[in-house]
Amino acid sequence: MSAAPFHDLIIIGAGPAGANAALSAAGAGLDVVLVDEAAHPGGQVWRAPAAGTHPPPDPDLTRGNHLRAQVAQAGVALRAQTVVWSVAATQDGFEVAIASPQGPELIGTRRLLVATGAQERVVPFAGWTLPGVFGLAAATVLLKSENFLPGRRILVAGQGPLLVAVAAKALKLGKAPVAVVDFNGLGRWVQALRGFVGHLPSLRQGLTWQAKLALAGVPILRKHAISRAEANDAGALGAVHVTPVGGGTPRMFEVDTAFVGNSLVPGDEILRLLGARRRPDPLTGWRIEADDEGRCKIPGLYVAGDAGRIRGALPAAAQGTRTGLAIARDAGCALSAAPAKTPRRMDRFADASCSLMQVDDARIAGLADDVVLCRCEDVTVGAVRGAIADGAQDANQLKHFTRLGMGPCQGRMCGANAAALLRTSPGTKPGGDVLTPRSPLHPVAVAQLAGQFDYADIPVPKPAPL
Amino acid sequence: MTGGVDLVVIGGGVHGAAIALFAARGGMRVTLVERDALARGASGTNAGTLTMQMTRAALIPYALRAHDMWVRAPEWLGHDVGVVSCEGLSLAFTEAEEALLSERADARRAAGAPIRLVTPQQARQIEPGVSPAIRMASHCTIDGFANAYLTGLAFRRALVAEGVELREYTTVQTVDPSAGGYSVHLANETLRARQVVFAGGVWLEPMLGWLGVNLPIKTLINQLAVTERMPPVMRTVVGIASGLLSLKQYPHGTVVIGGGWQGIGNRTSNTHSVRHSSLIGNVRLAMHAIPGLGSTRIVRSWTGFEAETADALPAVGPVPGFDGAWVCGSVHSGYTSAPYMARCITQAILGQEPEMPLFPIDRLLAQPGTDTKTQGHRRE
Repeated sequence: MSAAPFHDLIIIGAGPAGANAALSAAGAGLDVVLVDEAAHPGGQVWRAPAAGTHPPPDPDLTRGNHLRAQVAQAGVALRAQTVVWSVAATQDGFEVAIASPQGPELIGTRRLLVATGAQERVVPFAGWTLPGVFGLAAATVLLKSENFLPGRRILVAGQGPLLVAVAAKALKLGKAPVAVVDFNGLGRWVQALRGFVGHLPSLRQGLTWQAKLALAGVPILRKHAISRAEANDAGALGAVHVTPVGGGTPRMFEVDTAFVGNSLVPGDEILRLLGARRRPDPLTGWRIEADDEGRCKIPGLYVAGDAGRIRGALPAAAQGTRTGLAIARDAGCALSAAPAKTPRRMDRFADASCSLMQVDDARIAGLADDVVLCRCEDVTVGAVRGAIADGAQDANQLKHFTRLGMGPCQGRMCGANAAALLRTSPGTKPGGDVLTPRSPLHPVAVAQLAGQFDYADIPVPKPAPL
Repeated sequence: MTGGVDLVVIGGGVHGAAIALFAARGGMRVTLVERDALARGASGTNAGTLTMQMTRAALIPYALRAHDMWVRAPEWLGHDVGVVSCEGLSLAFTEAEEALLSERADARRAAGAPIRLVTPQQARQIEPGVSPAIRMASHCTIDGFANAYLTGLAFRRALVAEGVELREYTTVQTVDPSAGGYSVHLANETLRARQVVFAGGVWLEPMLGWLGVNLPIKTLINQLAVTERMPPVMRTVVGIASGLLSLKQYPHGTVVIGGGWQGIGNRTSNTHSVRHSSLIGNVRLAMHAIPGLGSTRIVRSWTGFEAETADALPAVGPVPGFDGAWVCGSVHSGYTSAPYMARCITQAILGQEPEMPLFPIDRLLAQPGTDTKTQGHRRE
């Protein structure tokens, strides 16, 4: 571990927001380091295909290729395949901790932009942890990276724009879903149309996907949800039971694979680790407190894209450009171009998408006791209710009482759902529904954290008094 | 005095909660006030080590009795707090550490801890996971650990069952003496009590300031990390001669890495966070001691405050000049000894003779206006 090099700006996340911010900040003259865990810029939505994979033409692929070419030509230091395991505020900025097979490295920066995108939220059901159940967003990653989906008999369930996208792409791969199970009714989609006209190419694509699914005879069960999944003899997914929302007779589908997802939430751990606060947002659940150009209340800390508020890839790209310029201006660079605002119609499109991904607390509050909430530590809804009855009033106490959120995912999968249970339980602490984020942000290999070292060089503090 | 309780305990860590429990069992009407939830500070975030090999020699007699209490927690607390009683090893990798280890083992043995020095071969029989690079180890047959994060749940159940009035998420503004006792001022209410206990950890200094008593308390910011669940890699509590490492594997497979490496923080703002270089150093030390840890991953690290007096010995006793006011904290390896310290001071609060001497704070009191450092050097 050497002395920390120091930069004008480190950007964590090379998706639409982070990479565009890097382009505008570097273009204005800043020394920029762009860090991403993937091999190439693009993030999740504009992800680069894996080497040797040739997915069909797709607007997101085109946008990603363009972005990757721009980053390659700009004076941006790209640290690809690099996992940030922690960040900390320092006297003159921030220290970003990374680990690699070469060992640990601490990099200093005056300013830090967090563009870490979104995480998937799944409304749990009995059996959702069986092998064979995948996330919808995870399916899009597989499709973009590998042009592949696992499974032979598949079912797609949940809500939001990803539902149709994954179902249509599965169809194109020759894996027509046995059903698409949509929590929303047609009325919600029709309402959303008014916002979707804000980006006609995307609307056209969505309608084409719907038409292709209809033509192929894929049943779309609207206002339905998976009520439980059953294991086969091998302990993997064998069937799902699908029930009308609000109750009714379940239908069973024998499947070996289900793709499920209900919402996207900000991947905001780094921001919160540094003290940024969440604010309630009626449409997306919450957003990170920041101004219109991405400045958080912590000096030198910025956010762009879905990490701050779920808006989708195109608004994220526009916001990234704007935030990159704002950072350059804050750093004292003279700017020729004024940053463009995100067009209102893009905002309406984002609102429409988010309106289809809403998860009311009441849905979580209605889950049966035996449903697993925290999959890393196998903590059930009933165990969480028991802990609340035992006096747990906030999320961190739930963690202590039950181990919820103590596993490798650090509460990313269960945090939003545990929060909903807390909010709907009487006697809990208002505003105490969020787990405190912890380093490492992702599990980090001891061997990488330690690297090569001599015992004599470990700076062991002076012995304790005897 | 009318309308009050016998005892108000301020601070719901393991000290305050145990005092409240024992006092209630002694027949007192008790209110416990905690500004967060029970055992969410140092008592819930420490490494849970119940070791003699990191305990100051003068505290060994207390720690031995406390160890026995922790092991018997189901009997007096009603919950086992995940206590595992096992053997412990403290390691020496250099000549200087050998000397340190021998000296410390002698002093602790003289104080009653069953510690003996062993060869590397013997150490590796006791703990096959330990590094072959060791030169010597000290072996203690009484060691172990608790699951500190279960402390709050365990004490909460016991206190509720004992009829202690719990005031969680309640901040005390100040305390002043009033006729025949003390007034404990909350935001919108005043509690009255014949006696009061200050059990506020690193905040003992500002708490005693309410009475005009100046007890300087240093704030240590201890840092910990935990691995993911992994197959058995060790079966004892492992440390090093200097005390700057503690390692143990919990029954569910995670290994907690500690030893008192310092994080970043400040008691005034009640904020603390992990120092990257400390985590790296601590993990290197851990991997050097138990090489098998090289195959796992760290999933979480965290920090917590520890209070330390000027002589690194406890502040457990009466508040001089204030009848019926007591202080309990800064015990040094405080979690280990806490239940026994609480038992002794509660005996005094109940008007009995404590089983073992308390640690009165007269020796530590500074003159009013003396500037005190709030951030000290780590000891162990």
